[in-house]
Amino acid sequence: MRKLKLSVLVIALFLMFGFNANAQDANTILKNMDDVMYSPKDMTGKTKIILIDKAGKEKTREADIIQKGTDKRIFRFTAPSSQAGIAVLSLPNDVMYLYMPAFGKERRISSSVKSQNFAGTDFSYDDMESKPNSEKYTPKLLETEEGAYVLELTPISKKSSYSKVIMKVHKTHFYPISAEFYDKGNRKIKEGISVYKKIGNYWNAQEMSMTNLKKNHTTRMIMSDVKYDTGLTDDDFTVRKLKQ
Amino acid sequence: MKKINLIFAMVIVLIIGTKFARAQEDGNKLKLSGELLTDQRFLLEDPNDWAWNENRLTLNFEKKITDNSKFYSEVWLRNIGLPNINSSADLYNKGIVDPFNLEIREAYVQLFGFLSKNLDVKIGRQRIVWGTADKLNPTDNLNPYDLEDVLDFGRHRGSDAISLNYYFNSEFSMQGVFIPFFQPANMPIGIFANALTPSMELPQGMTLMGFTDQINMPKYNLGESSTAGLKFKGFAAGFDFSLSYVWGRDGMPIGTYNTFIPVDTIGGININSQLSFYRTHIFGADMAGSIGGVGVWAEAAAFLPKNEVVMTNDLSAMYPLSPMPVTQDTTVLDKDAYVKFVLGADYNFANGTYLNFQYLHGFMNERGNDALNDYFFLRLEKKFFDDKLKIAPIGGGFIVADWEDIENNYALVYVPEISYMATDNAEITLSAAIFDGKGENMFANLKDYNMMMFKLKYSF
Repeated sequence: MRKLKLSVLVIALFLMFGFNANAQDANTILKNMDDVMYSPKDMTGKTKIILIDKAGKEKTREADIIQKGTDKRIFRFTAPSSQAGIAVLSLPNDVMYLYMPAFGKERRISSSVKSQNFAGTDFSYDDMESKPNSEKYTPKLLETEEGAYVLELTPISKKSSYSKVIMKVHKTHFYPISAEFYDKGNRKIKEGISVYKKIGNYWNAQEMSMTNLKKNHTTRMIMSDVKYDTGLTDDDFTVRKLKQ
Repeated sequence: MKKINLIFAMVIVLIIGTKFARAQEDGNKLKLSGELLTDQRFLLEDPNDWAWNENRLTLNFEKKITDNSKFYSEVWLRNIGLPNINSSADLYNKGIVDPFNLEIREAYVQLFGFLSKNLDVKIGRQRIVWGTADKLNPTDNLNPYDLEDVLDFGRHRGSDAISLNYYFNSEFSMQGVFIPFFQPANMPIGIFANALTPSMELPQGMTLMGFTDQINMPKYNLGESSTAGLKFKGFAAGFDFSLSYVWGRDGMPIGTYNTFIPVDTIGGININSQLSFYRTHIFGADMAGSIGGVGVWAEAAAFLPKNEVVMTNDLSAMYPLSPMPVTQDTTVLDKDAYVKFVLGADYNFANGTYLNFQYLHGFMNERGNDALNDYFFLRLEKKFFDDKLKIAPIGGGFIVADWEDIENNYALVYVPEISYMATDNAEITLSAAIFDGKGENMFANLKDYNMMMFKLKYSF
């Protein structure tokens, strides 16, 4: 009887310890990924967004991006003409402003917009958010493949439109390689792939693509003219700057 | 050798200098953008009269002058209205055969960090947009209303002004605006011409045979015709808010003196009316934020007229034997404050549907506590086919002019809309406007003008 009790205790401890170690590993991997993605103090760059519909027809958008830390960003469209000048300022705590030149004023965007597609792309406002993944998801290490960790990320917020995200993280450099997004009904709805390249000391997502599996629509975002640590300040991420 | 080195160095410097200058020129070159809009409307009722014809070329010029300054202008070149040809002489006038106009909507220079790094200055013709509500902004009173198209809510013209914005930090700022001379609102045109004109009640037995009026403009001096505004803007606890004050004039004229002149012996009269623009204080407040994912906003403006506005009816001509002038005074606007306000909310559903609701107390043309009507506006829209197609099956409003007698004082507006992005830069919109109602309110006045509307907008 004693032996049995001891065995149960040992198994229980092992399971607890084992799970804990697994959780720690997953947390560390996710934290390392965040460190890779968000280590620059600030970033400026241009992005070309190519929208590809199910017939293979392409449309192009262009925008300038500036970002500071993990929670301040201005995204300003420069093309096509119908969207040029439209800009979005993202600030901490889900505070977002939309500036439309035709109206001449900024407008607060409700946080419900986060589940919507951003400017006709396959990325939602939520996907575009630069909040660290470790603050958005609870990770679980599913497996270790050759060259990549496979994590299952469960959104912490119940407002998220996803039930989980399966993400592959580069084993050596800890940048995200691919992601699969599942809806609340546990159906895979989107697939994303990213290509990272080192610029100076930082890994840069040179190209990201997202495919909406239901619509068979793909968005490719190609970054160029990327510069890191140029000394942007909080004053560069204000409504004043958004309207300039 | 030294000489060669020096020449070589100078050539290098020159090349680098030229390239640098070119790069600067590229960044500072004049940018031209704009749009071409054609807006065609016809009445639904047989014989389907044409209700609106507008072909507008908007040209936006923008030039970065230096890193801290820019020039911007918006010009409208339009063919608007239908030819009003009455005689063969009119055929010699191209302005009548093919009516057009040119408008400078905005033309200003903006200086960022002027004198102090926290101060931005804008000088010239400009649109000063105040308020957090969606198009219906009671606090947006610095620029004159552009009421030409009454269905384009919230459209204002630019004012020749100086505007200073001082930023205390990233969250709090103060804006001061000075507009040296008064510009009245321009009134609706075409079939909308009488939409804002209140019906005239005449004493029993009188018939209006003719009407003339005279506008008394404020004198063009700083004291009489200027407008000034001050706004404090901030961000706290997740909400944007502002407090504002305007010392200005109501841009829509109000009748102050009517002269009744009999023209026959059976009660026919002509009326000559004098109208003026009254001075008013306007205290404003607004906020916007998000609660539980729902976007919310509120905006209110308290209008406090400087003086009571009295309308005098001069009936002396009808009583020629009276030794005294026969006049009748009616107070048309008390010196009491009246408050117009908007409460609104919007929500984006996960399936791409967008819902917007606003409750408005007091439309732009309504004045005085007793004249403010209640407006409930709702819009539901959804995008399809990768955002190419947008359908708004629900759009419009319900208006109550008198809660105690709704049956006779209401209006309904239904504006369903469908728009299609034919290319990245070309949008085609087809919509209808259906009006119904009874009593004294703008939308009830339009009940005979149900219309179909077609718009094509091309951006470049």
